[in-house]
Amino acid sequence: MATTAPLPSNFNQTSALAPTQTGFRFPPHYSFPPFFTLQPVASTRSSQLSSWSSLIQSYCRYNRIFSLSIIDTLNTPLFYNASLNRRLNLRDAKAILSYMSTSEGDNRAEFIGRGKQKAGEEDGGKVWIYWRRPEEWAAALEEWVERTGQKGTVLTLYEIVEGDASRKEEFWSMDMDLLQKSLAVCVKRGKAQIFGSEGSEGVKFF
Amino acid sequence: MFLHQLDLTTALRPSLLPEETLLFVQDAVGLYEGKFKIPQYQHGQAYLTSHRACYVDHAEPRKNSVAIFLKDVEKTEFYAGFLKSSAKITVYPKPLKQLIRSSAVPAPASLSNGTPPRHASPAPAPQQSATWVCPICSFSNPVPSNFDPALASRTPIPPCLACGIKPPTVHVVKAAIAGMSNRPPPGPPPKDTKYGISLPVPSASGMVSCPRCTLENHPSLANCEICGAPLATAVDRRLDFARDIDRSASPGPSLTTPLQTEAPECIKISFRQGGEKIFHERLKNALVQRKWLLQSAPPIPKPRPASGSFEDVYSKNTDQSSPDVERPRVVGIAGLERRGLEQRQNNEAMIGSAFEDLEALMTSAKEIIALAEQFASQANLGTNGNLEASALASQSASALGLITTKDMLGTGSGSESLYISELSRNLAEWLTDDTRGILRKEGGIMTLVDLWAVFNRARGGVELVSPADFEKAARMWDTLKLPVRLRKFKSGLLVVQGRDRTDEKTIASLLAWLKGLHQGPPATDVTWDWHMYGRGVTAQETAERFGWSVGVATEELEMAEEAGALCREQGLDGFRFWENWLVKLPGLSSTA
Repeated sequence: MATTAPLPSNFNQTSALAPTQTGFRFPPHYSFPPFFTLQPVASTRSSQLSSWSSLIQSYCRYNRIFSLSIIDTLNTPLFYNASLNRRLNLRDAKAILSYMSTSEGDNRAEFIGRGKQKAGEEDGGKVWIYWRRPEEWAAALEEWVERTGQKGTVLTLYEIVEGDASRKEEFWSMDMDLLQKSLAVCVKRGKAQIFGSEGSEGVKFF
Repeated sequence: MFLHQLDLTTALRPSLLPEETLLFVQDAVGLYEGKFKIPQYQHGQAYLTSHRACYVDHAEPRKNSVAIFLKDVEKTEFYAGFLKSSAKITVYPKPLKQLIRSSAVPAPASLSNGTPPRHASPAPAPQQSATWVCPICSFSNPVPSNFDPALASRTPIPPCLACGIKPPTVHVVKAAIAGMSNRPPPGPPPKDTKYGISLPVPSASGMVSCPRCTLENHPSLANCEICGAPLATAVDRRLDFARDIDRSASPGPSLTTPLQTEAPECIKISFRQGGEKIFHERLKNALVQRKWLLQSAPPIPKPRPASGSFEDVYSKNTDQSSPDVERPRVVGIAGLERRGLEQRQNNEAMIGSAFEDLEALMTSAKEIIALAEQFASQANLGTNGNLEASALASQSASALGLITTKDMLGTGSGSESLYISELSRNLAEWLTDDTRGILRKEGGIMTLVDLWAVFNRARGGVELVSPADFEKAARMWDTLKLPVRLRKFKSGLLVVQGRDRTDEKTIASLLAWLKGLHQGPPATDVTWDWHMYGRGVTAQETAERFGWSVGVATEELEMAEEAGALCREQGLDGFRFWENWLVKLPGLSSTA
C-alpha cells in the first residue's frame, strides 16, 4: 500500500482525485467531504446510503473482496480518503453495512456469524459483501459449468475457485464459505449435488 | 374637506405626523355623517392622536380610512348611549367652512330618502317646536328663534324662564337640533338614533308615550295632553327597539352614496364596545391643548451674543436671508471656534430656560430632546464605543410617543385583546421602520427574545412589555396580516422576520452564496475539487455573511438541510454545510 500503482490505460485523469494503489476508480462522491458524514435528513441519507452501497460493492468487486472486517476496513481506501483526510467512523460504517444488509439496501451485505441485530454492536463484525448474492453466484456457476461443458463431472471446490479453468471468472478466488453457500443454492434448485466430507468436497452439476 | 384621506403605516395604523402623538385607541367603532351611517365605515378602529381623530376600517383599511384634523373641529358632543343605541361622540366642523359651503353648495340633497338639506343654514328658520328642558327645574323653555346650533358658542343663550339659570350650551344645541329634525319632513323622516331622549316612544298598546312627561297619549294626538310636547311624528321617529348587537346591521339609515368628504354637517363616532368616555375626555383635552399649533409655532428665540459684532452665519437655523445688518464674517479656525462658542451659549440659554419649571420644559420639549440627542452623538464620537446602544438610547425618546400603552386603550371586554393587537401593530411598525432598520441590521431575521430586549430598551424603561404580552402580540402578526411574521424553528426557537422572507428565498440566497464559492479557491488548501464542490460553511461563517446571529444561522442551515438543499459534514471543528451533491450528483446512485 506504499506506492502508487501504475494507472490502467483506461483510467482517465480527472479521477486522479481519488487515486488508489489498486487503480480502482472511485465515484465522484468519494471526493466530496460530506460523503463521510452520515446525513441526518432522511431523503439525503437514503441517497447517501445507496451511494455508499454501490461504492462498497464496486470496490469489493474490483478488489475481489468477498467479506469485510469492519474495523480493519476503516483504514483502507474504501472508508478512508487519505487525500481528503476524511474517514468514515465505525458507527457510520456499521450503519451503512446494516443498511446494505436489509431488503431496503437490496440485501447486498450479511453479517457473518451473529444475528443481524447483534452484529453491529461489537466492533469485530465481519460482513459478507454481496456484490453478487449467493443466488446470483449460483447462476453464474451454473452458467460457467454449462459454458465449459462440465455438466455431469465432479468438480472439487478448490478446482472451482482456484483452478486454471476458472481463472477468468468472477468467482475465481472466491471465499470458500461463500462458495458453499452458493452451491447450496444450486443444490436446493436441484442443479447440483455435493459429495464428500468436510474439507474435500466435490460437486456435480446436472 | 372635513374628512381627510388617511395614510397608513405598514402595520395599518395611521402614520403619525411629526410631533403627533397617539392618545387613544378604541376598536369596534363606526362613523355617521349627521344621522346617517356611512357605508363601509362601520367597523374599525378609532385612533385619537394629538392632531387628528382617525378611523381605520377593519376590513379595508387602505381604502376606507379617514382622519379628522382636530384643528378643523369646532366642538364635540357626547352622547352616552340609550338603551341599545351605542354611545357616540359627535364632532362638528368649524362653522366657517359651513358658511362658505352652504353658500357655494345650495342644495346638497344627495341623500337617499330625500330628507331636507341637512346642513344648517346660517340663519335657520325659527323652530316653534324646539324646546329645551332646563336641567335644574326641568321647565320646558323654547329655543330662541335666532339660535343656530352651528354657531352656538357665539350666540348668547337666555336663561331658563322659570329658574333663571343659564343652561349648558350643549344642552340647548341638542334641543335645537332635535327641534329642527322635528320639522315635518316632506318624505319619510330619518330615524334618529342619537337624540332618542327627545323622541316619543310608542308602547306596545299603540299608545305613544310623551318624550317629555312620559304620559301615554293616544296615537292620533299631535301634542301631549299634559305638557303639550309635539307627538306628531312620533311613530315615524320611534327608537328602534329591535336593534341587533351587531351594530353594523343596526337599522340606522345608511348613506347610499359613498362617503362624501365634501361637507358633512357633523361626524359621529359610534362606540359599539365602549371606550367612548375616555375617548371623549382625551379628545377634549387634545382640543384644548391644540398641539397642532405648536407645529407651526416659531422656535424658541435664540439668544444672540451680547456683542452682536458679527453674524453667526454658521450657527444652525441661521437666517442668512434675513435683512439683518451686515456683519463681518469670521472664517477659518476663528469662525469655527466662535461658532462652537455660540452654540454652547445657545444651548446654555435653552437648557436654562427649559428647566425653569415644568411648563417651560413641556413647551420646549422638542428642542431639549434634539439637544439631548445631539449631546449623545457628540459623546459617542469621543468614545467611539457602543454605537448600537447609543443609537437606541437616542431613539428611545422618539419611540416613546409612538408606542401604545395600556392606558391609551379603552376599558371593556376587548381591551386586553385590543392592547395585544395594538402592540402587535406597534411592533410590526417598529420593525419595518426604515429609519431604524431593526430587522435589516439583523439580516432580516432576529430571535423573539432579542427583539423583546431591544424593544423594551427602546421604550426607555417605561411601559415595559411583559414577555407574555410580547409573544401574544407577535403571534397576532399573522392574523392581522402585518408585514412581519413569527417563525418557529424545529428547535422551538421563535424568530421574527419579514413576511416576504420565505424559506425558499433563504435557501436560494444560501445556495447562491455557496455557488459563489465555486469561483475562487478557498482560503486554505483543500484537497477536493472546489470547482466542483465549492466548500463547506460553518454556522459562524453564515452568520457573518448574512448578519444573522449564530443561533439563527444554525437554524436556517438546518432548515435548508431539512429541505434537502444542503448536507452536512461533521469535522473536528463542528458541522460544515455543503451544497447537497449527495442527492443531486447524477448517475451515481444508479450504478448499484
